[in-house]
Amino acid sequence: METKMPMVLDVISENIIKHGSPLALKGSEVSSWAKELDLPAKGDVLFYTGGEYQMLPFIDSLVKTITHLDQGSKVFSMMMGARNILNKTGFSPEKMYASVLAKDKDRYNSVCFKAAKVLKELGYEFCYSGNEELYSGALLYELGYLQDMEDYVKRVVEVIKKSGAKTIVCLSPHAAEVFKFVYPKMVEGFDFEIRTYVDLVWERRDKLAKLQSAESVVIHDSCRLARELGIHQELRDILVSIGADVKEAPMNREWTSCCGGPIKILFPELSHVIGERRVTELKESGSAHILTSCPYCLSALEAGRAKGDSAVVEDLIEFLYRGVKA
Amino acid sequence: MTVDLRKDFVNYAKSLNAASEDKNIRTAISRAVTSYRNTVTETLERFPHTPALAEEVQEIKRQSMANLDNLLETAMASVERNKGKAFYAKDHQAALDIALGIIGKGKTVVKGKSMLGEELHLREYLEDNGNEVWETDLGEFILQLRKERPMHILSPSIHVPREQVAEVFTKFFGKVVPPDIAEEVKVVKEFLREKYFTADVGISGANVVAADTGAMVIIENEGNVRLATGAPPVHIVMVGVEKLVPTFQEAMKVAEVTWRYAQYGVPGYVNIVSGPSKTGDIEKVTTYGAHGPKEFYVIFVDNGRNEMAHEEKFSQALHCLRCGGCMYECPVFQVTAGHFGHTYMGGIGAIWTAFVSGGMEKAAPLVYSCLRCGRCVERCPMSINVPAMIGELRERVIYGKLEG
Repeated sequence: METKMPMVLDVISENIIKHGSPLALKGSEVSSWAKELDLPAKGDVLFYTGGEYQMLPFIDSLVKTITHLDQGSKVFSMMMGARNILNKTGFSPEKMYASVLAKDKDRYNSVCFKAAKVLKELGYEFCYSGNEELYSGALLYELGYLQDMEDYVKRVVEVIKKSGAKTIVCLSPHAAEVFKFVYPKMVEGFDFEIRTYVDLVWERRDKLAKLQSAESVVIHDSCRLARELGIHQELRDILVSIGADVKEAPMNREWTSCCGGPIKILFPELSHVIGERRVTELKESGSAHILTSCPYCLSALEAGRAKGDSAVVEDLIEFLYRGVKA
Repeated sequence: MTVDLRKDFVNYAKSLNAASEDKNIRTAISRAVTSYRNTVTETLERFPHTPALAEEVQEIKRQSMANLDNLLETAMASVERNKGKAFYAKDHQAALDIALGIIGKGKTVVKGKSMLGEELHLREYLEDNGNEVWETDLGEFILQLRKERPMHILSPSIHVPREQVAEVFTKFFGKVVPPDIAEEVKVVKEFLREKYFTADVGISGANVVAADTGAMVIIENEGNVRLATGAPPVHIVMVGVEKLVPTFQEAMKVAEVTWRYAQYGVPGYVNIVSGPSKTGDIEKVTTYGAHGPKEFYVIFVDNGRNEMAHEEKFSQALHCLRCGGCMYECPVFQVTAGHFGHTYMGGIGAIWTAFVSGGMEKAAPLVYSCLRCGRCVERCPMSINVPAMIGELRERVIYGKLEG
């Protein structure tokens, strides 16, 4: 029996399969952050972004479209088609994407740049697949498209293999999760060492620049990082080593409260409510400077911050990068 | 054939959004979550052996589900040996038919709280067939009057504040009931007291069933189950086959873990019922129906459970003790309560919906509103891997394997 699912699922899965990006972003868009860095295409360690931070501002735009339109309507299916149905309708996704604020685009695009700079500063050498890098397919796994994923991952692995790397460093815990737990089941001989950005920073945390003054911060543990990958103490170690005053939220580490991000594309309003509640919970720690280490948490908590809220939401990468610049 | 689920998703999203704006739900659940976390922490400190016992229970459950057919046979034989009557109901309709066959028409029935009862729409069915049925759990009684379904498995009327209770009671009892909790409890007590002693039949569920002895273990706090199963001349137990464990000793372990994670050091009452009431006090002649029921029936309900037990990826879902702990930890449930559910609620509820109560079409939207964040697994005394099962169900939905 065939099922007709909400269109947004079709769009996202087809975009991944056809374009290697959930929102059909072009390779050149996804890799533009790396222009000035001249990263090699080959090396032992592969720096992997999966285009996830880069696509965050566009997800919000997509979600806004969902929120304001009845999903059953014709207009909606046109909007949702984005690049997928470009040929059929002549509707330009660029128009939809153009509504994204330039400052958001710049901010999220530069996260990868900042991450690379921090790792360089710590003395790590790595390569990057640039235009060719493909999204890990984590959303195919998340949303149930496992059969499609089996075909898709072959292409991802091809690109990864080209780099000659033995180790993959993931910025997103979702990518790390699928590389670690799903790929080995789908691809024979997928024996790369999977690390996260946090792991690498943690190992050389002594080399990080110290903060000028003891800023107080609170960590939002990402579900995937804390529960699936077991990484939570490392975040605290890193922050303590640079002299931050780490406050703790009532629910943290393996008991962390989800940011609401995973249901954002299907249940945006509810996702928003959950994000808001998490921001409130985090602020109960006594710090309103929230740090996380996952693109979706970053975006969901940012959206959950009430208008005019004094809370600051940053990725750990953004926070550490300020030390690099100083 | 194509099943179009798009409208279902839209309607479901609307109901979740409405629920998340409901101040009563918000306040009640916030309060309940805080109290749950505090009490469980405190109780586990007082009884530190509990997590290890929970691990033991996981193994008991695993073995029991692997051996379900044998356990059922043993349990049915035990019930018969105890002079009760045992039935097996393959599906929903069979369960209702058997119950109605025992009860008949024009009877008064008092009922204890049971999720299986909700699954079967038991009260409505008996009422439609000419019986008067009373929910005796206070929360369920409130919902019966409000014609609503439970919003939590243990605290069904969690979303109804005292003012609204007073309103519905004032209307029902035909006299002013003030929004005072003690008063509200009192009027129901007086009303139901009379029902217990005039009822023809009492119906209950069971939290655990020991196959070796045929002992039904029923955990409660209000004392309503005690009365509903003790006073009427007939007691019918309706219980899902997943509640079976091999021995009495094991049943005690399951019971302790269940109430501990349902935030009780020890519950007010633990009822153990294994047959009709009897006495041999006069001339050692066994006579049935001494003070309690003369007739005792047990209906073991399958309704998709056996199929689940045979699915490698889902049999663990049958280990669920219904302690309700996961719901308090679920970020979606915290703002939507039972709206994140069909009969069964939360992430584990989505899985039960697929197999037992509603089917895949009803389950699909629920399955996609789970965050797969995994905090329920942290809380679950049975460590049920709900996120993995949700992933598996999503795959089935996407590729049109709707049979469950």
